[in-house]
Amino acid sequence: MMPRVSFRGLAPLAAALLLLGSTGSSLAQPIYHPPPGQNFEGVWLIVGDHSLIKTVKGKLPPLNRAGAAEYAAHLKARKAGKPDFDTIQTCKPHGFPRILFAAYPIEVLQEPKQVTFIHEVHHMPRIVYLDLTLPKLEDIDPKWMGESAGHWEGDTLVVDSLGFNDLTTLDTAGLPHSTDMRVHERIRKLDSDTLEDLITVDDPKTYTAAWSTRVTYKRQPGRRLKEYVCTYSNPEAHAAGR
Amino acid sequence: MRILLQAGLVGLGMLAAATAARAQSDVIEGPLIRPAVSSSDPRDLSGVWFIRLYNRQINSTLGRLPPFTEKGKAEWDKRVKAEKDGSPIADASAYCWPHGVPRVMNSPYPIQIIQTDGETTIVHEVAHNIRHIYMDQSHPQSITPSFMGDSVGHWEGDTLVIDTIGLNDLTWIDEVGVIHGKQLHVIEHIRKIEDGHALENIIRIEDPEFFKEPWYARITYAWRPDLRLSEYVCEENNRNMPVNGHTVAQ
Repeated sequence: MMPRVSFRGLAPLAAALLLLGSTGSSLAQPIYHPPPGQNFEGVWLIVGDHSLIKTVKGKLPPLNRAGAAEYAAHLKARKAGKPDFDTIQTCKPHGFPRILFAAYPIEVLQEPKQVTFIHEVHHMPRIVYLDLTLPKLEDIDPKWMGESAGHWEGDTLVVDSLGFNDLTTLDTAGLPHSTDMRVHERIRKLDSDTLEDLITVDDPKTYTAAWSTRVTYKRQPGRRLKEYVCTYSNPEAHAAGR
Repeated sequence: MRILLQAGLVGLGMLAAATAARAQSDVIEGPLIRPAVSSSDPRDLSGVWFIRLYNRQINSTLGRLPPFTEKGKAEWDKRVKAEKDGSPIADASAYCWPHGVPRVMNSPYPIQIIQTDGETTIVHEVAHNIRHIYMDQSHPQSITPSFMGDSVGHWEGDTLVIDTIGLNDLTWIDEVGVIHGKQLHVIEHIRKIEDGHALENIIRIEDPEFFKEPWYARITYAWRPDLRLSEYVCEENNRNMPVNGHTVAQ
């Protein structure tokens, strides 16, 4: 394992323990502390409604002909109250990147070689490895959350993800994607309480060009993730959709 | 997609044996991406671990069944009989619910421990269970029962002590028939053993409704730096969704 970087408070505590002759029940363990600019740790909540994603220019993403047809069908199904395309209706995962747009808190945990995002919704983890070379698309068993590798460019966490199934949409409205989709993210703090994720979707089978959208999250001091169990709160939906 | 191994299925014994063989292996396979021994720091538990000697039945450290109360024994007998009769009673995992504590610590899938400021988090491959263990804190005054309960931790020497209460009564303790109620109180003592090659978890289980006295189970986990957690989505293809409370093979 990597060396722990900070041993904050160990020496004074050890001295205190010697004085008290205690067994050391409150000795702090060495914990990795990211550099301040790269420290995204804590609980965050999305700002605004992202159920219908637009590009950074406020436009509908550049769907190709097949993509536009699928999107239109999804919009129609949603309007008719029968959004069968929507996996979360039956307790299946949001998939990536849709989970980034969910109105539930996200906890960020950082280690030297890994940044872990825990989404309250469906208690879904996403692990971004900082020491991983992504496999080739054809070598990946498609997943709901794909596979993610990241690296730091200054204080920006740059993450590339691929290897998705095509069961999910990108938003509630129903923007489609294929298994060829690649997602590129640039995540940084705008200030100590605001996190920005600039998300670029590259899926030539569905869009005529790569396009980007942007979300921000606000820090939620003291907030803890709650237990969210869709299969328990909606057993009928889960059973119906298996 | 990972094939679901649902508890209580007819023929699960064979599957359990196969997964147990995998769990028992101390041979590190595949390319090493991290040192083969976890860090020399006894309080650095971070990384991926995999249960050894997995057994779907949890015995006490005395090598026998827990000290059941009459009720605990009756529930055990009922579940063992139902499975023998080919109609196993479904546990929480069969519904794709979280496994609960301590059950989730006895699963033949890798777990990853993450230590950050004020929190120890355990990410479990199985059914994407997450344990949040808040360090050096007290339990809240009022707790709504949940599958994973409320966990707080602290260090006693080089042992991580985790205290868990606030569990609902929908999960089991093992996969055979040891169940519990809402009074369940779990205290885990986790420490590195074997020069960092393994973790030991001594689990103290107390629930006066189901056990005459507190009892202990011991589980060890191998350091597996070669593993990364895979995606396990029970919700996608639960072929064994319980019907009227019983697991049905489909």
